[in-house]
Amino acid sequence: QSRQRVLLGGCLDLWKEKNDRLVRQAKVAQDSGVSLRRHKLVQDTLEGLRELLHILHGLPAAVPVLPLELTVTCNFIILKVSLAQGFTEDQAQDIQRGLERVLETQEQLGPRPEQGIRKLWESVLCASSLLPKLLCALHHLAGLQAALWLSIDRLEDLALLLQTLNGNQNGASKDLLLLLKTWNPPAEESDAPLTLQNAQGLRDILLTAFAYRQGLQELISGSLPRALSSLHEAASGLCPRPLLVQVYTALGSCLRKMGNPQRALLYLIAALKGGSPWGLPLLEASRLYRQLGDTAAELESLELLVEALSTTHSSEVPQPLIEVELLLPRPDPASPLYCGTQSQAKHLLASRCLQMGRAEDAAEHYLDLLALLLDGSDPRFCPPTSPPGPCMPEVFLEAAAALIQAGRAQDALTVCEELLTRTSSLLPKMLQPWEDARKGTKELPSCPLWVSAVYLLQGRAWVQLRAPKEAISEFSRCLELLFRAIPEDKEQGAASNCEQGCRSDMALKHLRAAALISRGLEWAANGQDTKALQDFLLSVQVCPGNRDASFYLLQTLRRLDRKDEAAAFCWRLQAQTQLSLPLYLEIYLSWIHSPDCETFLEEFQTSLQEPHDL
Amino acid sequence: MAGGTPRVHYLAGFSCPLGGLAAGKPRVLCHEADVFLSTGSEFVYVYDQEGGLLTAVYRFPDQVWHLQLLAPRRALYVLCARRGIYCLSLDTPSRSVSQANKDSEEDELPYPVMPVDPDACVLPDATLCAFIVLDDMLVALAQGPTQWKMQLFEHPCLGEDPQPGGQIGEVELSTYTPEIGIPGKPTAPHFLPVLCCMSLPGSRAPHGHPQACGGFTLEEALFGLLFGADATLLESPVILCGLPDGQLCCVALRALVTSRSAPGDPKALVRILHHLEEPVVFIGALKTEPQTEEAVESELSSMEVHSDCLVALGHHGRTLAIKASFDKSGNLVPELQEYFLPGPVLCAACGGGGRIYHSTPSDLRVVDLAQGSIPLDPQQPNRAPGSLPPTLCPTSLSVCSVLTVSVSPRAPAGETELLALSAKGRLMSCSLSPKSPGPTRMTSASADRKIKELLSGIGDVSERVSFLKKAVDQRNKALTSLNEAMNVSCALLSSREGPRPISCTTTTSWSHLPLQDVLTATCLLQNSGDFSLDRGWTLCIQVLTSSSALDLDAAGSAVTYTIPVDRLGPGSQREVTLPLGPTESGVLDLPVTVSCALFYSLREVVGGALAPSDPLEDPFLEEHALDLLPEQEGICLPLSRLTVDMLRCLRFPGLASPHTQAPCLLSPARDPVDTFLEACCGPSSEPTGPASLRAKYLPPSVASIKVSAELLRTALEDAHSGVPLCSATLQWLLAENAAVDIVKARALSSVQGVAPNGTDIHLIIREVAVTDLCPAGPIQAVEIQVESSSLADMCRAHHAIVGRMQAMVREQAAQSSSPPDLRMQYLRQIHANHEALLREVQALRDRLCTEDEASSCATAQRLLQVYKQLRSPSLVLL
Repeated sequence: QSRQRVLLGGCLDLWKEKNDRLVRQAKVAQDSGVSLRRHKLVQDTLEGLRELLHILHGLPAAVPVLPLELTVTCNFIILKVSLAQGFTEDQAQDIQRGLERVLETQEQLGPRPEQGIRKLWESVLCASSLLPKLLCALHHLAGLQAALWLSIDRLEDLALLLQTLNGNQNGASKDLLLLLKTWNPPAEESDAPLTLQNAQGLRDILLTAFAYRQGLQELISGSLPRALSSLHEAASGLCPRPLLVQVYTALGSCLRKMGNPQRALLYLIAALKGGSPWGLPLLEASRLYRQLGDTAAELESLELLVEALSTTHSSEVPQPLIEVELLLPRPDPASPLYCGTQSQAKHLLASRCLQMGRAEDAAEHYLDLLALLLDGSDPRFCPPTSPPGPCMPEVFLEAAAALIQAGRAQDALTVCEELLTRTSSLLPKMLQPWEDARKGTKELPSCPLWVSAVYLLQGRAWVQLRAPKEAISEFSRCLELLFRAIPEDKEQGAASNCEQGCRSDMALKHLRAAALISRGLEWAANGQDTKALQDFLLSVQVCPGNRDASFYLLQTLRRLDRKDEAAAFCWRLQAQTQLSLPLYLEIYLSWIHSPDCETFLEEFQTSLQEPHDL
Repeated sequence: MAGGTPRVHYLAGFSCPLGGLAAGKPRVLCHEADVFLSTGSEFVYVYDQEGGLLTAVYRFPDQVWHLQLLAPRRALYVLCARRGIYCLSLDTPSRSVSQANKDSEEDELPYPVMPVDPDACVLPDATLCAFIVLDDMLVALAQGPTQWKMQLFEHPCLGEDPQPGGQIGEVELSTYTPEIGIPGKPTAPHFLPVLCCMSLPGSRAPHGHPQACGGFTLEEALFGLLFGADATLLESPVILCGLPDGQLCCVALRALVTSRSAPGDPKALVRILHHLEEPVVFIGALKTEPQTEEAVESELSSMEVHSDCLVALGHHGRTLAIKASFDKSGNLVPELQEYFLPGPVLCAACGGGGRIYHSTPSDLRVVDLAQGSIPLDPQQPNRAPGSLPPTLCPTSLSVCSVLTVSVSPRAPAGETELLALSAKGRLMSCSLSPKSPGPTRMTSASADRKIKELLSGIGDVSERVSFLKKAVDQRNKALTSLNEAMNVSCALLSSREGPRPISCTTTTSWSHLPLQDVLTATCLLQNSGDFSLDRGWTLCIQVLTSSSALDLDAAGSAVTYTIPVDRLGPGSQREVTLPLGPTESGVLDLPVTVSCALFYSLREVVGGALAPSDPLEDPFLEEHALDLLPEQEGICLPLSRLTVDMLRCLRFPGLASPHTQAPCLLSPARDPVDTFLEACCGPSSEPTGPASLRAKYLPPSVASIKVSAELLRTALEDAHSGVPLCSATLQWLLAENAAVDIVKARALSSVQGVAPNGTDIHLIIREVAVTDLCPAGPIQAVEIQVESSSLADMCRAHHAIVGRMQAMVREQAAQSSSPPDLRMQYLRQIHANHEALLREVQALRDRLCTEDEASSCATAQRLLQVYKQLRSPSLVLL
């Protein structure tokens, strides 16, 4: 038997050496730069670990070998996870296998596997009190189990495991952060097999990841003071640089929402000092300046943001370790810490310029954006569209509106023309509507809303170019479409999915009103008051909430000295309602808005009321 | 049309495993004179069509799942299972091949086998299942733990320092259920996803030969309709993806660019076009509308066909075709048509002029989607000229078991040449000429060629014949078997009277086993008909025990034995013996019912014919076809039914003549009561003995039945005439018992037997006169009395006797004999007494449920008394 022991001891040394060699190899691979060679080296290491594990599993579980076996299991899992950049079901099985091996050494067979991993951990940790040699390796494995559970959001199991690891004081708090802090994995002995990442390292990473997750959740759910403390916790922990930038940005966002813009700014500056990625803090800074009303600074940060996103941040070599990022949920667009692509930033910049009245800048930015999108030479440049944002045709329309706003009507016409040619195959055949009318077909062709909007903007461009004839014909075409065509459902392929629901309904009403008012104004300018009056009247009927329509109607009626009608109409005046319309439509409505609309309407109403009072 | 007989040439043969190659993974590509081919193994072959020989063989570390050629870059991309994507340069084959062990061990092969250098791996990822290379981008489909992930990479080519990563976008597609495999070991999926790239005409997505790159150019209207205004505006290529679960979804490539930190939002990026509900095996596009002259010319010059119809084929033959058309009011609407082609579809390819070639294990067929463009029927003016045909008629090309097919771009104008790989590993080219050439004068050269063609035609036909023959044989066998089964069923079901052609008789007997005597049932299946019972028939014997009398709640247990009847010819018989009990604990719950039935399993017989005999038709089909037959589907013919009661199981050790008596007739387990009594008596009171004590303290339970002698006499007169009535009655009761012969021989009227669990049972039969009942005088009656020290056994015997009486009375009632005049008053009195007793029983039983132990003991005592009264009725069966 002693010979057997000597033999086993020899093998044990051999296996330990192999493990140590593989771990060193993985660490060397990490330094050898980004290349396929490196990838291959890591893959080979993984294969080596798998083989070693296979050998160890082939023997009956024995207490002297188990610390090594568990360490190899941990190394294997760590390398596999870092290579695949995430946990999978395989890792859960690897851990379970390790636990079952521990139980095998105990005479009692322990719980059956179907009793679940939680029970398994309980009995293993219970048994481990008899096996102090195993404790270190078991804490290591527990760290991996904790990481796995954190990554798949099984926080209750995680809390229970930590309670057991901490000695299971009754009434121990369920606060995971506290549990993680009190967890003190035993230190490795000097002659223990090498590990890629030890239990203490795992603990620190878990602590940071959990604090950040929790902080982010609290930030989103609005419990700001708690978010602040969690995020502070994350920032004070072991934090790689890119993550620190995120944490600082989140802190900035939290403080901004709490009404502390100056402190928020300090954190954002700290985040920017942290180096790339700069996108997040810059986006947050633009929000901050917007809240403060500092347009110049806001736009400047957006410009910087566009620039920051254009540089491809060199992808960091993933370490053969489990890193904090692996344990975080993937950012989704709804998160406050979501910084989109370059084109989305560019679009944000352009639209903010347009909204803030910087038409020239807006036009330039829009033209840049369109050029980059349509050129397509840079495969990294993708359309800025996503469900909350506008769809591509709307970007075109916004660009045209910006150009008109900037006084570049000819360019606006070109943009509109480009949009129409590119989508010509999609448009219904109703562009020859007269034929259909002759045939007497009852069914109306459907057409996306934006097609009519193109004609509307074209008309406006002609107005700017002082070509009333063309303008009126474009407006008429627009109206023809708007009144004959029903906006398309979202099921129809040609429509973009963002055009739907009540937004499209409201937009349709206001588009009609805008087109009618625009044409009416042109008629009026040409002295054709009756036609103008007709259009204004129709616009009021189409969209009763539009104050401008009422204004023009009343003004025209007054000019024509038809006071009674005006008075009769005035009683039906409605208050302006606040609504969200597509940006291009908002801009358009601002063009036909008369600055003295409200004063006029008020005066008119009081002048009507006076005789009644008498 | 593509009709006419195809000319098939065998080009080369490749190694194939026993049973043929598996479908789904082999690929054939054609570029200039070279054919690139993978058979699903780890080799990629390069075959020179002009030279007619293999020029290179590359060996990869694992199975090759997909090939794609990027002609402008002269690069071959190869997806190697569980490794990733490799890129081989066509110009300098040696560069990407490790020189070290080239030619070292493969000397016996005529061509060099070149192991591929690991450095040629441009995208190492073990989870990749499909990819498509565009000009400067690569789209890969990876299998995540629960979801498919589409990933976009840029410039995955051989460079000086190839970089992994370069990923510029990722989006998650639908979830899938992982196939069950060995945990920890990645399994090869049975169906791989299919990727296909659709682009707009004129967009800058140059493809050398689009189909070789898995790409198609779609007409603007269809493109916009399917993929939306955004993709059209941006002129973005769109990746169509057909998943093994049947989903057909698309992703606009330009929108797929996402930041590394955040994958794209599937809701915004992925559009689901359709769901085929079976694995998608092919996606393609076709030109179905006839081209005008200028269009033909312009397309010829640009080498591009603008397809106007999107097609997708499912594994079981479901085919989807989508076209764009305008409705009455001028709106662009999709025209969607589903077809059902014969499956399973192994592979498919799109040819020119609206033709789809698709292969099943039995044939390569072609369908023409363009036939709808030609108004076939002038009576149907409603159909728009360009619409899809309502049905498809596949035309056979008479080439079987083609695993992968591609349309060769080298065919002369007007002809189509297909390159195909058969399941036997043969590469062949198949030329389809639009019309068969007329008879020409034969020159020696043409005769030579003709002969070659004929020979290769013969080879193809023989392969096909052997396949078809096998299938036909199997179906014939199944049909014959079914026919016989029908005959047997008809014969059995129609002959209600008279002897049945197939019968099953069951007898019971006691057999002596070392530890315990066992009651066995012997079922004898006899085939006296003209048919033979063949494969697929099973004899089912169900043994149903009654619930234990002691445990009211327990339901009886049923055990079914199924014995396959393996060929039972006319006149032959088969015997099956089953143990009925007692079980190890010595319990035999009588009565036991033994029912025999014949069962014919459709699954076993028809399933074999439906299941493919060919390895080509993957195991999925088998499951699929058998799913049509429910688990229990079959024909069940009941044969016989036998109730084994106490009277059958009684043994009479006292009757057996000394020499026939088994030497070791099991002395039943000693009655614990006897043991107890013996112990009580002690040695001093020897003469009294347990028997007398028992008689004193535990009188045997008694039950009796009185039957009118006349009734018995008429019932028994046929069989037992000339025998004293008492003895005849006993013989009748024990008719199925082995002891009946002795009873007959000795003309016994009372007998002492042993129940299966060893207690004594005494049957006493005597003639009595019942006086009070009839005004006309006493009625002659026979009293059957059962006595046993065990109450339970006495009850079982009583139950058995009552059962026989009931049967007899039912029989006699048919031949109605008038009962004698009865004294009604007396009868009513007895009836009232009995009713009162029954009420008391009910009340006592109710009390038993609620009372505690002490008082329930008294109740039980009383209940037993009442039962005893009930068992000795003063009534006579008349």
